[in-house]
Amino acid sequence: MYILKNAMHNLVRNRGRNLMIGGIVFVIIVSVVTALMINNTAGSVINDYQTRFGSEVRLSPNQQKLQEEARQNSVDGMMRLSVPQIAPEDLIKYGQSDYLQKAVYDVSANADSDDLIAVNADLGPGGGPRMMRMGPDSTGMPSGDSGVPGGGIQYYFRMTNAFDEFLNGTRTLDDAYDTTDFQGRFPDNINECLVSSDLMDASKLSLGDTVTVTSRMRDMSSTPENEIITEINWDLLIVGVYSDLTQTDNDLNNLQSAYEDRRNEILTTFDTITANMNDNPAGIRVNATYYLKDPDQLEAYTAELRNKGLSTVWDVSTDSAAYNRIVKPVVALKGITLTFVIIVLIFGAIILALLASIAIRERKYEIGVLRAMGMKKLKVLSGLWTETLAITLICLILGLGVGTLIAQPVTNILYQQQLAAVEESTVNQFPGPGGPGGMIQGQGRTVSGFMLPGGSSDVQPLQKLDVSLNGLTILEIVAIAILLSSLSGIIATQRITKYEPIKILMERN
Amino acid sequence: MEKDQITQNADTSQNVDTSQNVLMLDNVSYRYDGAKKPVLKNLNAAFARGKIYTIVGKSGAGKSTLLSLISGLDVTTGGDILCGEDSLNKIDRDKYRAQNIGVIFQGYNLLTNASAVQNIVLSMNISKSPEKDKKAYAYALLERMGIDRETADRKILKLSGGEQQRVGIARALAHNPEILIADEPTGNLDKETENDILEIFQNLAHTANHCVIIVTHSRRVTSIADVVYGIKDGMLAGYCSHGTGPEKV
Repeated sequence: MYILKNAMHNLVRNRGRNLMIGGIVFVIIVSVVTALMINNTAGSVINDYQTRFGSEVRLSPNQQKLQEEARQNSVDGMMRLSVPQIAPEDLIKYGQSDYLQKAVYDVSANADSDDLIAVNADLGPGGGPRMMRMGPDSTGMPSGDSGVPGGGIQYYFRMTNAFDEFLNGTRTLDDAYDTTDFQGRFPDNINECLVSSDLMDASKLSLGDTVTVTSRMRDMSSTPENEIITEINWDLLIVGVYSDLTQTDNDLNNLQSAYEDRRNEILTTFDTITANMNDNPAGIRVNATYYLKDPDQLEAYTAELRNKGLSTVWDVSTDSAAYNRIVKPVVALKGITLTFVIIVLIFGAIILALLASIAIRERKYEIGVLRAMGMKKLKVLSGLWTETLAITLICLILGLGVGTLIAQPVTNILYQQQLAAVEESTVNQFPGPGGPGGMIQGQGRTVSGFMLPGGSSDVQPLQKLDVSLNGLTILEIVAIAILLSSLSGIIATQRITKYEPIKILMERN
Repeated sequence: MEKDQITQNADTSQNVDTSQNVLMLDNVSYRYDGAKKPVLKNLNAAFARGKIYTIVGKSGAGKSTLLSLISGLDVTTGGDILCGEDSLNKIDRDKYRAQNIGVIFQGYNLLTNASAVQNIVLSMNISKSPEKDKKAYAYALLERMGIDRETADRKILKLSGGEQQRVGIARALAHNPEILIADEPTGNLDKETENDILEIFQNLAHTANHCVIIVTHSRRVTSIADVVYGIKDGMLAGYCSHGTGPEKV
């Protein structure tokens, strides 16, 4: 206890020297706090994006291989480039892998019903053959419609298992149709569904009613000359009603068909739509998104897909373009801060070691007196160490405060510089339309065997990096502070071990 | 001191009760690193409780070296110094310095950036003094040495040489050691204070039954010694004193 007390007294007694040491420790800590805050935040952002972009698997047809295949299959000198397809059951099979964290399936089927009167029915049906329906799908990304089902058959309704819009609030459960016997809810079981309030009104339905919807699908094996149509019926129990705000007035004014009116969407479960899927379910669209547990397992997962029968025409990849675009400036910033931390620590450690050495020499007489009075080396050392720790602790508290305050402005300056540098290098690499490199090719995602245009290379990098002081950073700073004070302690130990009190006192006297 | 009065390697133990011996020199020799000749050669002596010993001799005779050896600040290169029955070469000399002895250094050796009272309290802490109110005890001790409370709170650097000497004495006495070792303890004191200090030494030895060992050139100090040792050419001679000057043992 007296060691601590004496150390505290010494802090005040040797104000000048302690202020100098404290000043240097403070500068080191502020620099390290700032750099580590940026570094750790950058690390989190990188990890987050690595997970988001590095783990989402994309299956895209390899154009070169498609052309080769077409060339080889050419019999009359004409090259027929056919769009490859992956059957929905294969997509489900590919989703059953230990390498995957999860597989998300969006499934949909076009349908008609004698029990339902579509909203905007006067616009007529839509969603016919080869017609691309461009518009937000369940994930808010551009999507397409194979249009294969039923040759020239057009529909009023679309069945889907996409409930995402309930999360962003553009769709809500409408309790206006609730009765004492039936409270509206989401479908839990097979053959249950939600319909829009407008569709309920147009069709004069009530909660608990059952409607039959039908989809006519062209068998995959049929030819245009000999078309085989399979009819699938679903008897759906209406268990809930939703209000729809997914389309603006402008969208609604520009509708070409009732099929495009999203109020005609019938929301049901994955199992309901796929329950009647036979071997050739050309009319059911399955959109599969796979997420790897670890982006580094892409190669192993690819090998597994090949074993499961995925043609080599399909490339298996992650969205590295988007990942690089967003993460590159952050990685650069992380690199800068890491270098900065290392430099500060090396120089800081050298300066502190020199200061500690000088301080111990200055206090040689004091050490000699204490030793002559019978204080053990270990206690002398603990006293000196306590003083250093106290200085470090004060600097740590002040340094954390000041570092936190200046970290954001410093980050903004550094990050904007990195952003500008990366954007400049991107422009040079991909000059854009009209330039030597042409357009950056976007990647699509797997929709029932079709690659859709779009992708995420248009994802913009972060414009601002919000740094914050987290537990990890505090722990690292504390560890560095202890390391720095230990360095002084080691030097003190080395000196004190060498000092003999009689020699010190004789020199002095 | 007359040259012919010196008896080499005097063994004073024949005249005292050996059970009272607290410190014994057993053939003690010391040679500095790299030196050809030893500073101290085969010294034999005994220091007992209840007596005042003075060590006299010319400068460079080895008095301070002997003092550093019996203070446990250095170790012999030959022979042994025994504290009771334990060799100083083998025991924990830090503990010995902290608890068994009190040293009054010629150069005071005080912590200059601390106050007088802080020096004494720290010394009491190191020696694990059982005093509950160490600060009050330190003030009282300093008062006995002629240092008032205001002076006691001043930093050592702001005290005169004499005041520092008194603080040094107070520090040596603070943990009530059984052996008090002093190197020119009254060198910077006025006659009145010197008398006070010598009275304290006499009380310590004759009343409190402590062993007091003083290195001095002062005849006044030597006059109060029960035993006077002279050092010449690294060898020891013992004299007995009865207040009127040293007498041969």
